[in-house]
Amino acid sequence: MQSGIFHSTYQADMALRRTHAEKIRMVLFLLFMAAFPFVADRYYLTLANQVGIATIGAIGLNILTGYTGQISLGQGGFMAVGAYTAGLLTARLGMPWYVSTLAACLATAAIGALFGIPSLRLKGLYLAIATLAAQEIILWVVTHWKTLTGGVDALVVPNPTLFGLQINTDFRFYWVIWLLAGVSALTTVNLFRTHYGRAFIAIRDQDIAAEVMGINLFRYKLLAFAISSFWVGMAGALTAHYRNIVTWERFTVDISVLYLAMVIIGGLGSVSGSFFGAAFMTLLPAFLTNLGRALKSTFPFVDTIIPFVQQAVFGLVIILFLIFEPEGLRKIWKDIKDYFRLWPFSY
Amino acid sequence: MSHKKYFVLTAAVMLLVFVLTACGGGGGGKSTPIKVGAIFDFTGPTSDVGTPYGEGVKAYVDWLNANGGINGRQIELLSADYAYKVDQAEQLYTQYVQEGVVAFMGWGTGDTEALRTKIAADKIPFMSASYSANLLDMSAAPYNFLVGTSYSDQGIIAMQWAVQDWQSKGNSGTPKIALAHHDSPFGQSPIPDMQAYADANGIEFMTIAMPKATDFVAELAQIQQFGANYVIMHTVSSPAAVMVKDAQSQGMTDNVQFIALNWCADEIFISLAGDAAEGVVGAIPFTPPSSPVPGHETADAWLKEHGSSLSEKGLHFTQGWWTMAVMAEGIKHTLDAGQELTGENIKAALEGIQNFDTQGVTSPISFSPSSHKGNRALRLFKVENGQWVQAGDFISVP
Repeated sequence: MQSGIFHSTYQADMALRRTHAEKIRMVLFLLFMAAFPFVADRYYLTLANQVGIATIGAIGLNILTGYTGQISLGQGGFMAVGAYTAGLLTARLGMPWYVSTLAACLATAAIGALFGIPSLRLKGLYLAIATLAAQEIILWVVTHWKTLTGGVDALVVPNPTLFGLQINTDFRFYWVIWLLAGVSALTTVNLFRTHYGRAFIAIRDQDIAAEVMGINLFRYKLLAFAISSFWVGMAGALTAHYRNIVTWERFTVDISVLYLAMVIIGGLGSVSGSFFGAAFMTLLPAFLTNLGRALKSTFPFVDTIIPFVQQAVFGLVIILFLIFEPEGLRKIWKDIKDYFRLWPFSY
Repeated sequence: MSHKKYFVLTAAVMLLVFVLTACGGGGGGKSTPIKVGAIFDFTGPTSDVGTPYGEGVKAYVDWLNANGGINGRQIELLSADYAYKVDQAEQLYTQYVQEGVVAFMGWGTGDTEALRTKIAADKIPFMSASYSANLLDMSAAPYNFLVGTSYSDQGIIAMQWAVQDWQSKGNSGTPKIALAHHDSPFGQSPIPDMQAYADANGIEFMTIAMPKATDFVAELAQIQQFGANYVIMHTVSSPAAVMVKDAQSQGMTDNVQFIALNWCADEIFISLAGDAAEGVVGAIPFTPPSSPVPGHETADAWLKEHGSSLSEKGLHFTQGWWTMAVMAEGIKHTLDAGQELTGENIKAALEGIQNFDTQGVTSPISFSPSSHKGNRALRLFKVENGQWVQAGDFISVP
């Protein structure tokens, strides 16, 4: 019986997975993820892939907003940079998808750092507006720079191939997406065990104190923007290769708000929270649609009001979550774990 | 696990797979319903026009099923609201394809563009209310069909009419024409074709993007400076209404003729613009109910049975109704030819449709293997006493 988690060595305290239960859960999770595509049909694979891409994007945003405390409404714009860079390099220059994806990540990191410059002077709501400007500027450029992006026309991206295998099916792309999601999660968890990550957290908690401690605010804030945008760009690039087409309407300010909702609902400053938030925000509309369908067959008269109820429920669920657990789904998950760890003598 | 258990499990899984595939593949039966997928915008940013359109599609299916379906087979419309969210459009599309739909009805530019590579890969014929000319590129969008007149053709028809109107008023030469368009791919799509038409006919032509704004005084000033005699608006209803109101308050409407293309030429535009709408000409591919044609009657009768009427629902209902009718015609041709109902066969059947009569709602619809442009002609309408009134016969693009 346990009364809590205690460590007697620094090594144990610093470990990535600190308890046996965590290790076992990790193995079970990996087994589930590996088995899932073999039993799921195409619909569930699409949902899983959308969750995977959203997880990468949410991890990126969480590095910036959750860990470093720099609010960003430019997520949609940065994803657009990633998607268009990857799409253009593959469609126009014939680069393999993995090269163009990496190039897209780096390009987005550079653009992200550029738009991060105002963050040195601006905080909170002011930074939100500055990043909102980034969103609008990027989308304006994308829709108006015709010679580069094709402007009006959607950009069609050729099917990605790997070792001579076309990988644009939901089943095959599942592995690509979730492998990269795993990489992004692992890198990010480890980032916050380094001095860079700790500097980010110090900036979030109190930037003046951080500066007094010798953290170069300019450098680390830009670094946070760049690292965050790197993953956001990857989410955009994967969207381009997965869907074979890039349209600007996928990257509007709605997406920026949606991702912000993901990291807030999932849990700010947490990699697992990013995953929970991404899964929740992607699966809730699908769940509500299917619930509506099931209700429709039982009560035909509700057919016309279902769409409105769905929207209302979507909003209501988010509000209720935030009221009853402001620290997000990650906290709920933690509470569940604690409950069972201390069961039956919890206090 | 013992070998016996393993064997039983394998057998069970194989049986399940067999049953599932048997169910999935058995769509050829005489009485099984024909599954068609659809996504609508009932709650999103375009829901003002998306709602009547979606209701029109649904109502046509209900009417068809109540009248014996297609050759005795019912249509099962799998549909849901996607709130104009591309991700949700994708979710619903894959779900319905998984469930075996043979055709798909979309809605806006967002979902039509995002799905067009997947529908080509899945071989699912697709119709929506997006009439962007780039969907006519047969190599890039082989499964998209356009029932309405494309935005480019609408623009060119409007310019043709403007030249005629200009000369019939005793002026010589050609008028100056301005295009005020929505600042999006939807708004920009007709520009190249309209510019080419203007250049070929010696028309002085300017384009101006309409930003998100509460008034368009600055844009109108630019248009006035250019000296436009005709202003073509290619946007949605509310900005178009604001623009004509601003023009009216500046006294511009007296000597400048405004022409609205289809997404800003509807009942909503008139109710928003009020008396500023008077005299505005609309390029409308689907005849509005205020100008009755035989093609309205069935829909109107069906609606009256259900406590509504076509004049209440408006022209976007007609648009949805007849778009679905064209898709149903393609399915009917496939069945008549005794072919299996697959997306590929329906595409081929649609490509064989010649002069499908919509009873005056649109000009006759024809497709061919080399062109999915359903029609190239439309009638112009004019706002008189708060209603769209027919202002001439079909004009087609040269």
